[in-house]
Amino acid sequence: MDEGGEDESIETTIGTSSYQHFRVNQWSTTIVEQCLSQLCKLGKPFKYIVTCVIMQNNGAGLQTASSCYWDNATDGNCAIKWENKSMCCIVSVFGLAV
Amino acid sequence: MEEYHNESSFNTEEVDNIVKECIENVVGKDDYNPNLVNKWTSAIVERCLKQLVKLGKHYKFIVTCALMQKTGAGLHTANSCYWDTAADGSSTVRWESRTMYCVVSVFAVAIA
Repeated sequence: MDEGGEDESIETTIGTSSYQHFRVNQWSTTIVEQCLSQLCKLGKPFKYIVTCVIMQNNGAGLQTASSCYWDNATDGNCAIKWENKSMCCIVSVFGLAV
Repeated sequence: MEEYHNESSFNTEEVDNIVKECIENVVGKDDYNPNLVNKWTSAIVERCLKQLVKLGKHYKFIVTCALMQKTGAGLHTANSCYWDTAADGSSTVRWESRTMYCVVSVFAVAIA
């Protein structure tokens, strides 16, 4: 799966920023939209779901999990975690064959 | 998001009720515990998935769950989907207790 594309989308959107409550809405939207458009450009016969979680780093614990009911032979997913000093970001991509 | 009331379409109300019940059953009475949170998120997604599959509809399902301790930190989630808007659908449930937040998203992708 395209992990490079996810990393790149995160870096270009929030790579140099600190957590800001009034901007995080825009950031998470931009990240998922950029990831999705990069994935669509690959031109493969897949439906995609991209999710993004951004959390402020203040010592809170965060756990995410996902469970999928699909065709193991053709469908797949990948998740990456990115963080800097003030926030952490988890992006998951699910690809389902058409 | 549009509401479908057709038997074979994605019914968000039904799914929301299923998800809320699963969350309540797994973490309804507990305080945030870092030793158990791993088990809880797995239990929530697996339980939701089992209940959704029991509905017997022609969908592939993806269930995601995020559990966060309440310490005042900000949390934001976003989803974007490239699919058939007529046949596929999603639903997100936000739940909280005194010590934690839980956000569960269900995505249903129609099988041709």
